[in-house]
Amino acid sequence: MRFMQWLHRWVSLILVVQVVLWLISGFFFALTGHQGMSGHQYMVPQKTFTELRKVAAKVDFEEIKQWFPNAHSVELVSVAGVGQYQVTLPDDVIYIDANTGDYWSTDEALATRLALLSYSGPGSVESVERVTGSNEVNGWTDPGFRINMADDLNTRIYVDMASAQVVEHRNTPWTIADWAFRLHFMDYSGGRSFNHLLIWSAGLLALWFSLSGLILLGRNLINGDFNPGRKKTWLEQFQQQGHPVASSCGGGGTCGLCKVTLKGDNLPEPNDSETALLNRDELNAGVRLSCQHKVSTAYSVELADKAVSDTRLTLVNKRQLTPSIVELTFTSPGNLTYHAGQFMQFRIPHLNEVLIRHYSMATRPDLNKLVFNVRQMTSPQEGVPPGVGSNYLCHLEVGANVDATGPFGDFQLTEQNNNTQVFIGGGAGIAPLRSLIQAEQAKQQPRHSVFFYGARNEDELCYRDEFEAYDGVAYTPVLSETTKADGWSGKTGFIHEAALAWLANENLNAVDVYVCGPPPMLKATLKALTDIGINRSRIRFDDFGI
Amino acid sequence: MAQKKRSSRWRVWHRWLSLIFGVQMVVWALSGAYMVFFDLDYIHGDHLVQDISQPLPEHTHIASLDELFATYPETRSVSLETRWLDNTLQTVYKLETAKGSLLVNAESLRLIELNEQHIKALANRYYAPEQANIESVVYMTDNPPTEISEKLLPVWQVNYDDFGNTSLYLSETTGDLLVKRHNFWRGFDIAWMLHIMDYEERVDIETWWLKGFIIGTFILMVTGIVLLVYAISFKRTPAGGSQ
Repeated sequence: MRFMQWLHRWVSLILVVQVVLWLISGFFFALTGHQGMSGHQYMVPQKTFTELRKVAAKVDFEEIKQWFPNAHSVELVSVAGVGQYQVTLPDDVIYIDANTGDYWSTDEALATRLALLSYSGPGSVESVERVTGSNEVNGWTDPGFRINMADDLNTRIYVDMASAQVVEHRNTPWTIADWAFRLHFMDYSGGRSFNHLLIWSAGLLALWFSLSGLILLGRNLINGDFNPGRKKTWLEQFQQQGHPVASSCGGGGTCGLCKVTLKGDNLPEPNDSETALLNRDELNAGVRLSCQHKVSTAYSVELADKAVSDTRLTLVNKRQLTPSIVELTFTSPGNLTYHAGQFMQFRIPHLNEVLIRHYSMATRPDLNKLVFNVRQMTSPQEGVPPGVGSNYLCHLEVGANVDATGPFGDFQLTEQNNNTQVFIGGGAGIAPLRSLIQAEQAKQQPRHSVFFYGARNEDELCYRDEFEAYDGVAYTPVLSETTKADGWSGKTGFIHEAALAWLANENLNAVDVYVCGPPPMLKATLKALTDIGINRSRIRFDDFGI
Repeated sequence: MAQKKRSSRWRVWHRWLSLIFGVQMVVWALSGAYMVFFDLDYIHGDHLVQDISQPLPEHTHIASLDELFATYPETRSVSLETRWLDNTLQTVYKLETAKGSLLVNAESLRLIELNEQHIKALANRYYAPEQANIESVVYMTDNPPTEISEKLLPVWQVNYDDFGNTSLYLSETTGDLLVKRHNFWRGFDIAWMLHIMDYEERVDIETWWLKGFIIGTFILMVTGIVLLVYAISFKRTPAGGSQ
């Protein structure tokens, strides 16, 4: 089923534009109808009512037969009262004037007369042009005339010169319909063919797409999703009751955001979606996706973010931590409980909209205050505005309010074990790491901790004294824009290289690694950690870029 | 969280709409695929028949126009051609008159009336595959099968016992091959019926329910696009950290 969802989603992404075109052109066809699209609104059927004996052909069949001994058939017809022989040869048809025996030739006057005979509209002849075929008449490439009629539909009538036959009527509705056919058949040559590679591919995709949808629909039916009296899923229940559960796929079991923890003896088995999106530790601990299970009394359910709430924070202190980082301290009216490493969602008013910015708490859980580190984003060059969110917060006055929601996030300390706790961070990514380190150090038996912190220069090393003062924390600052010549005796270069050099002598099965920092640093560090073989389950990181 | 709540509403709508319109979309995709994948010439049965016209015999004394018009004054068009009759290639005039078409012997101007044996022999000449096993020959004057237009009546239906259950329809008066049908054409006709949702006459593309289903499918697709946007923009790892 997960494959079906994947198929349905990706094929729809490829196909969506063509499906729109099919629907629009199909709707146009349904609105217009056959007659409206034919170009024949003002065309009368070409039937001759003249009796041939009145035409008085001077040349007889016998002569034609002798002139063209290989003819398969010879037909005599009346063209506006004049006899015309149509001689079918093995690979051609030729037209002979039955009076003169010469090749038939249609002049402008006759073409116009024939065009008018085939026309029942209100217009009169506007102009007559000589043409050789027309891109409006598929397959007709011979010399002829285009008779333009002055009427509401902009009718033009094509007459073939050699045969004097009215080839086609065309008009504006026809032109629009022709484009609809191009879109519907995906044949942009104008040939209206629907047997070609492009539409075969689209047809195959459409088949996959709709059949995968049908299979998914069947699963919905079997699951009873259409039963009005059905039991709700936990996700629906939580959303209806206003509990904060994250979900972006809306119950499809594909985003993995609506995690809950089930408690009880008889927990439902994890299904495909859950085995794919949750790791073994989580599954063993009873974590499930709330969209995948119906409300039940067989067990109890605990929300991952049960403490989440909307709150109005008041700024009580502001200080410049380093040249680029400001420390903001807020109080919250209710006591906001959070885990070390979690973050709040700030709602920043900007012009007519509200921007969402995420900031992690920078201290261990504290009922009385919330501390954040904000890097003030300066404008990268003249003319480009500085960071909206960070500037708004940095310019708040003490006493000012800002709305926030939270706490969120699973960037938290591991369960108790004997592993060395390795923290790797850069820039303002220090906030959740500091919170985690403080929380660890506040435990009765703190685990040994190692902290690699990267900054540009010495001035940017925030909370340096605090980290150096811990007995249980090996603090290693690494500067990227400072050299020995500046009087710096510590490490320089990239933070992940320093961390890696240290990890080289460690038992990689006995470390828990926490990473937070700017996107390039995070990416490089995660890659380096994976490369040296640290199990993914031992690495926790906070995506700093958003 | 308000935005995230909406996502499950969209999914519920997508499900309910797909129950009605999604099923029709499957029908459109299946019938469309049928029409697209079988070559139109094959559907038309062009491979089932061949051109049986022959050069006009040289040494036949054909009646003149004057003689022809004296016997058949109402003639509006006339065609000199050949026709295999009783295992002989005969030169014939085919006339169009106010009362319909006629076939006459080009020498004697005698009217030719085609019987079942003539029709069988002609059909077998038109029929291209090597083994020509006629299953049945039906002369029909009314109640035509849905696969042909009523305008073709009266007509001879010649049915073959072959892979596609070929039926050739020959003109009662001239012996001309009018239309050919086989199972893949019949399948195409059903696909077309399903595609345009006119289950009776299979011609009306302007029914209100067709328009309704197109609009409904459009809404279904919009809900799908919204879900797609959610799906593409979601992040597995909740964003955190500070800036």
